Amino acid sequence: MPKIEVPEKLFFSLAGREYTDDEMNDIFPVAKAELDGREEGSIKIELNDTNRPDLWSVAGVARALKTYESGEIPEYNFFSSASKAMDCGGRVHIDDESALGIRDFSISFAADGCRVTEDLLVNLIQSQEKLCQNFGRKRKTIAIGIFRSDLIKYPVHYYGADPDKTAFVPLGMTEKLTLREILEKHPKGKEYGHIIADKPRYPYLTDDEGETLSFSPIINSARAGAVQVGDENLFVDISGPIIDDILLAASILACDMADLGFRILPVKVTLARDTKYGREITVPYYFQQETSCTLDFVEKELGLKLSAQECIDALRRMGVRASVKDDVITVRCPEYRNDFLHAVDIVEDIMIGHGLGRFEPVMPSDFTLGYLSGAEEYSRKVKKIMVGLGFQEMMYNYLGSRKEYVENMHISDEKVVFIANPMSENYEVVRPSILPSLLESESVSGHAVYPHRIFELGKVCYKDDSDNSGTVTKNNLGFLAADNQIGFNEASSYVNTLLYFLRIDYTLEPADGDQRFIEGRAARVISGGRQIGVYGEVHPQVLESWGCSMPAVMAEFDLDLMH
Amino acid sequence: MDIEVKNLHPLEVKLLRHVSAGEDITAERLVNELDYKIGQCNQAFSWLTAKGCISEKSREKYTLYELTETGLQQAESGLPAERIFASLAENGPQSLPTLAESLGLQQSDVGSAFGLLSGSRTAAMNEEKKAELLSSELPEEIRIQRTLLDRAKTAGLLKEAELSDKERQAISKLAKKRGAGSATFKQVEKEDVVYVLTEKGSEVKQALLKANITGEEFGQLTAQMIQTGSWKNGTFRPYGLNAPVSRLIPGRTNAYADYLQWVKDKLVSLGFEEYDGPLVVNEFWNGDALFMPQFHSARDIHDVYYVKDPSHCRKIEEPWLSRVAKTHEDGGDTGSRGWGYSFDHEFTRRQILRSQGTVLSATQLPKAKIPGKYFGIARCFRYDQVDATHGADFYQTEGIVVGKDVNLRNLLGLLKMFAKEVAGAEEVKYVPGYFPFTEPSIEVHIKHPVLGWFELGGSGIFRPEVTKSLGLDVPVLAWGLGIDRMALMHLGLNDLRELFTPDIESVRMRRGN
Repeated sequence: MPKIEVPEKLFFSLAGREYTDDEMNDIFPVAKAELDGREEGSIKIELNDTNRPDLWSVAGVARALKTYESGEIPEYNFFSSASKAMDCGGRVHIDDESALGIRDFSISFAADGCRVTEDLLVNLIQSQEKLCQNFGRKRKTIAIGIFRSDLIKYPVHYYGADPDKTAFVPLGMTEKLTLREILEKHPKGKEYGHIIADKPRYPYLTDDEGETLSFSPIINSARAGAVQVGDENLFVDISGPIIDDILLAASILACDMADLGFRILPVKVTLARDTKYGREITVPYYFQQETSCTLDFVEKELGLKLSAQECIDALRRMGVRASVKDDVITVRCPEYRNDFLHAVDIVEDIMIGHGLGRFEPVMPSDFTLGYLSGAEEYSRKVKKIMVGLGFQEMMYNYLGSRKEYVENMHISDEKVVFIANPMSENYEVVRPSILPSLLESESVSGHAVYPHRIFELGKVCYKDDSDNSGTVTKNNLGFLAADNQIGFNEASSYVNTLLYFLRIDYTLEPADGDQRFIEGRAARVISGGRQIGVYGEVHPQVLESWGCSMPAVMAEFDLDLMH
Repeated sequence: MDIEVKNLHPLEVKLLRHVSAGEDITAERLVNELDYKIGQCNQAFSWLTAKGCISEKSREKYTLYELTETGLQQAESGLPAERIFASLAENGPQSLPTLAESLGLQQSDVGSAFGLLSGSRTAAMNEEKKAELLSSELPEEIRIQRTLLDRAKTAGLLKEAELSDKERQAISKLAKKRGAGSATFKQVEKEDVVYVLTEKGSEVKQALLKANITGEEFGQLTAQMIQTGSWKNGTFRPYGLNAPVSRLIPGRTNAYADYLQWVKDKLVSLGFEEYDGPLVVNEFWNGDALFMPQFHSARDIHDVYYVKDPSHCRKIEEPWLSRVAKTHEDGGDTGSRGWGYSFDHEFTRRQILRSQGTVLSATQLPKAKIPGKYFGIARCFRYDQVDATHGADFYQTEGIVVGKDVNLRNLLGLLKMFAKEVAGAEEVKYVPGYFPFTEPSIEVHIKHPVLGWFELGGSGIFRPEVTKSLGLDVPVLAWGLGIDRMALMHLGLNDLRELFTPDIESVRMRRGN
C-alpha cells in the first residue's frame, strides 16, 4: 500500500479547509485513505486503493476530499481528446521507430507560471516516485523525468541509442559516461538497469540540438534534469510500453500540477507506431471511455433503491460526472482516473458518495446448513483419544530450515518441498513431517517436568508425482513421548490404544532402513494394504542432532488414509 | 490458643501426651519409650518447635567412632600389622609380596603395615629383602588399637570424650569422616539436643487430653480396613486442608486450537460449511482467478514464496483457464473491459505457498451450491520478516456467501453478526476498503470491550470478473476476519510467535479466558 507524507499547510490549502485528526479519520475513508500519523507540520497518509494512483499525492487526496465535501467537480481545460486537439504552441515531441520493441512510447507536456518551492519540489518528486514505483511497477511500465524547459529546444526526440557510443553526464555525477557505463556505475543504473539491459539499443531523449534530457527509465541528465527551487518552467516526460498507463500518469501529474498553481502547456507527440488513439496525440490527452450501469443493477448490488438524482449526486461527490437516460447511468471518468472496469466500479462510487452509513445492515435470508470438514471431524476424534492418553496438544509453524527438517532427521531431501526465494535459511522448507516439530519442542523443553507427552494434528507437505502440482498436503497426527524409562513397548501401547478406538485393524512390519529410529525398534503400521503410519524409538543420532538428552519414542500417522 | 489440635500430626500428638512439664525430651527417650525412628523424632521436634510447643534447653556436640564393615572384620581376624607380625613370628622372614599373597592382603596395606612395624623397630628388611622380626612384642600403638577394636566390638561405638590421649591418637589413624569404607572406624559428629515442654505445649497437651485425641486415629483408609471392617474401631484423623498440593500434568488440548475450534463451531452454527485445501497452490487460483492482474504488486517475488521444485504445475483446469485468461485480457463475457494485457500462461502455472485464504474461496466457486455459505481457517505464508506481529506462517479466517439476491446490505448484516458473535463487540463501523477481487469493498471496524476500536476484517462482493469467469452468475459476498489479535488477547499473549511456540512448559500452563 502506498504511503505518502504531505506538508500540513500545503495539504489544507489545497483541500480548502483545515482538519483535526478526528475529522481526518472520519473523512479519509471516502478516498480509501488512512491517517497514518501526524507530526511537526506533516501528515502521513496510507492509501489502500492500488487502482487509484491519482490519490498518491498531496494534490490528489486534497482534491478527493474537497470534491466530496463541496460536490463540485474540478475543471481541467488543458486536455485534448479524440475530437479536439489543444494548441501545442510549437512544442513538439517525436518518437522514433528505433525505440520500438525497446520501450515503445515517450510522451510529454510542459508547465509554467509557478515558482518551484522546497515543499513543492519534494511533493512533485514524491508523486513521481509513487507513480513510477507502485503504478509503474518499479519503472518497468512508467518512468517520469522532470526537466528545466528553459534549456530545451523543440522538437524533442525519443529514440533507441547505441549503448556504447552515446554518452552524457548523469544526474548525481560529474563525469560523462556511456549508457552502458551508467548501468554499471550509477546507483540508478544498478537498480533499474535490468529493465533494458539486454536490449540492442537504449531509450534516449534529447532536444532538437542534441542536448541530453534523459536515459529513460534510468536517469536524467545532470544539466537539463536538475530541477531546483526557483525554477518556473518545467517539462515532464513519461515513457513506457503501455500507452494507456503513460497517458494516465501524464494526466495525473498535469492535474496535480494545475492544482498546485501551474499552467499546463500541451505538447504534440508523434508516436513511433499507431495506437487506438492514432499516431499523433496532444498531451495531456483524455482517453478514457464512457461506462454505464442500470439503476436496477445499482439496486440489486446495494440492496437499496436510489433515484437517478441520488446516483448523480453521489457520483458528483466522487468527482464523477454522470447523466441518466432511460434508467441507464452513463459515467464520464475523471481525467485523472481510469478505474471503471465494470458497472460494479460505478456502484462502489455511488455507495461511497451516498454514504456507507446510510445503508442499513440486513441479514441474508437464505437458509443453509453448516458442516465441519471431514478432516476436522476426524481430527477432533483423534484429539480426544490423545488427550485421554495424557498427551499435550502442540501447534507449530509449517516453515523451517533444512537443518531442522532434513539434516537433524537424517532423512533424504528427495521428497522435501523447498522455497525458491526464501527470506532466510530459517524458513526455507515446508515441513514434510510433524516429527521434527515435536523434536524441536523436546530440544527446547529440558526444563519442563518429565515425562513429556506431546502431539500435534496438522498439515505436512511433500512431493508426490501423482498430483497435478507434484506435491501433496496431508492431515497428519504426530506424537512423541520422552522419559528416563521409555521404549518401543510404551509406543506400541499408545498406538494400539489409539487404533483400537479408531476401529482400525492393523499389522506391523519392521521399518528397516528408517534412520530416524533405532533399527529393529521401529514399525510401519499397515492397514488395508497401505502404510498409514510409522513409530518407534527415536535413534540417538537424531536425539543428538537435536541436542536432546532424554530417550524418546515417536509416531506419525496419515489421517487422510484412515477415515 | 491458635493451634487446632485436631490438625496435629500423630507424631506430635503422641509426644505431647507422653511428656510432662519440666522433663527432658530427647530423641533417645522417644526412641526408647515411644518407639520413634530417629527421623520421626526430628520431624516431631521441628514441627513442635515451630508451633512453640517445645523449646530447646541445651545442645551438646560430640564425636563418635563407629566400626565399619572393614573394622568389624579386623576386630575378628586382626589388623594387617598384627597379622604380619604373627606370620613372621610363626614362619620366619618373608618377602612382602609373599606376605600379601599368603595373608590375602593388598600390597599397599602390607607396605604401610610393615612401615609401622619397621618404624617402631619391631621388624626390619634383611639382606635378602625379606622382612624379619626384631622384637617379640607388638608396638604400643597397635596394642592400643587392638583394645579399642575389642571395646568397640562390644559397645558398638566409642565416644571420643571417653578416650585417653594416647587412645585418641591411635584411633585417629584408623578413622575417616567420609568415604570410610576401607578405614576401620567411621568418625561421626553428633549433637545431643534436649527439649522441654513450653507453657503453650502444656496447654496444647491439656486440649489434646480433653478432646480425647490419642494420635492413634486412622490415617489412610486401606482396602484391608474396608474388607476387615477395622475402620469401625476407631476414628479418622482430619487432614490439613491447605497442605501444599503436588503437581499433575494432564493430557490437554492446546488453548489456541481450542479458540480456533470455537470459531469454527460458531461459524458452523451460523450455517457455514468448512472448506480446506493444499498448502502448495498455483498463481492461477491464488491470484489470476481472483482477477488480480499478473503484474499486481502483491504478486511480486518479494511478497510470495515460490516453490523450487516442481516450480510449475502441469496444467490448469479448463474451462476456467481460458475463461479467466480472457477476462484478464478484455473482460470476456463478464461485462468488464478487463486489464488489457496479454495473459501469461506460463506464469499462471507457477507454484507458490498459499499466500491468502481467498484461494480456497476461488476453488470453491465452480462447485458452490446456490444458496451456499462456506468458510475456512487456512494456514497462509507471506514473505515477511518474522517478528511480534508477523509469523512465517499464520491462519486466515475467510468465507463466502453465495445467493441469488445477496447484496451490500446483507454483507453489512453479516459483518455486524460476526462482530457480535465472534468478537463480542456491540459497536460496529463500516468504511470503504480496497481488495483487488471485490467491488464494492468494505472494512469493518469494531469497538472491542478491551482492545478499543480496531479493524476486524475485510470484505466485499466478488467482482463479476471473478464469479462469472468461474461459472457463477449470482453475487457472492466474501469476507475475511483477523482473529489473531482476539486469539492473543483470549490467551493473554502479545506476541504472534507465541501462538506456535515449541516450549512444552509454556503450552502446558496456557489458559484461555
